[in-house]
Amino acid sequence: MRAEVLKGHLDGLLLAALEAGPLHGYAVMETLRAGSGGRVDLPTGTVYPALHRLERAGLIRSRWSSEGGRRRRSYELTAAGSRALAGERSSWREFSATVSTLLEGRPWPTPA
Amino acid sequence: MADAGLTGPDQDSAAHRVIGAYLAELADRLGGPPAARAAIVAELEDGLWAATATHQAGGSPPEAAARAAVAEFGDPTTVAAGFGPELAAATGRRVGLGLLTTGPLVGTGWLLVVAASWTRAGREPPPALGVIAALVGLVLAVAVPAAVLSVAVSGRLSSWLPAGPRVAATAAATAASACVAGDLVLLAGLVASTVFAGGVAWPAGLLAAGASCARLNLAGRAARRCLAARASLT
Repeated sequence: MRAEVLKGHLDGLLLAALEAGPLHGYAVMETLRAGSGGRVDLPTGTVYPALHRLERAGLIRSRWSSEGGRRRRSYELTAAGSRALAGERSSWREFSATVSTLLEGRPWPTPA
Repeated sequence: MADAGLTGPDQDSAAHRVIGAYLAELADRLGGPPAARAAIVAELEDGLWAATATHQAGGSPPEAAARAAVAEFGDPTTVAAGFGPELAAATGRRVGLGLLTTGPLVGTGWLLVVAASWTRAGREPPPALGVIAALVGLVLAVAVPAAVLSVAVSGRLSSWLPAGPRVAATAAATAASACVAGDLVLLAGLVASTVFAGGVAWPAGLLAAGASCARLNLAGRAARRCLAARASLT
């Protein structure tokens, strides 16, 4: 699955990858790959800048640590990021239910 | 993650050369503030070693694992281009904050010149001072809102402003250019006062002129950096 296909959902996917706890950039890429059976394989030039953008927006924060003599930057969700993730999930459920209903030719469910 | 407990590839000089060459090429292609560039290179270096460890865990020898990691990360030009918006935002923010910080210092220097030369000396200020004040007011009316905008859109407001990096760089370039114009007006006013209005109080005049010359130089270079950062986004 190419990055263009996921356009519009990238932020939600990155926030979801960080929901379980802090991860560094490559670990975020691996989490998305592993969690999708390899289908979501986003390029470095997409993931790392997007993490920086999310940090600038206050949805995640980063911390530098030392790992094996190297500097490591790890990211974690902020409270605003958790709220944004909940919003992304809600929007996705509504979007996917609508598109599924239309694609499969089902009638729109009416409240009983 | 996958690199936990793996220390092999770090010790391998061939793997080091592969990753070092990649990072050097990437660093050459990154623009923006030096600290932001260094942070990106350090972050990707860690990511490359993590990827190398993952490939080594899959059975590759260290050098081949490093080459696989580099291939996985992709062409340095493309990776650097991905960081373009973030570096443009960082450039705009840094310039905007710099102008907002130094502006009051430069302004205070010039107010001291006016106070020491005319107000406190009991001398009548030259009529041209009103023109200079009006021009400086015009410069401030452009520079201050532009600098504030560059800082605002490169921070938390970026959630609501997807064009933030471009706007930040443009606003910062505008603010810096306005400061260049303002400093030129003030320095021209100083020269005119010296030639036609009997001079100014020189200790304060030298201080203010020095501050304006320094900012003129820095703001001119900052404006060019911001325009280059903005151009890199197209």
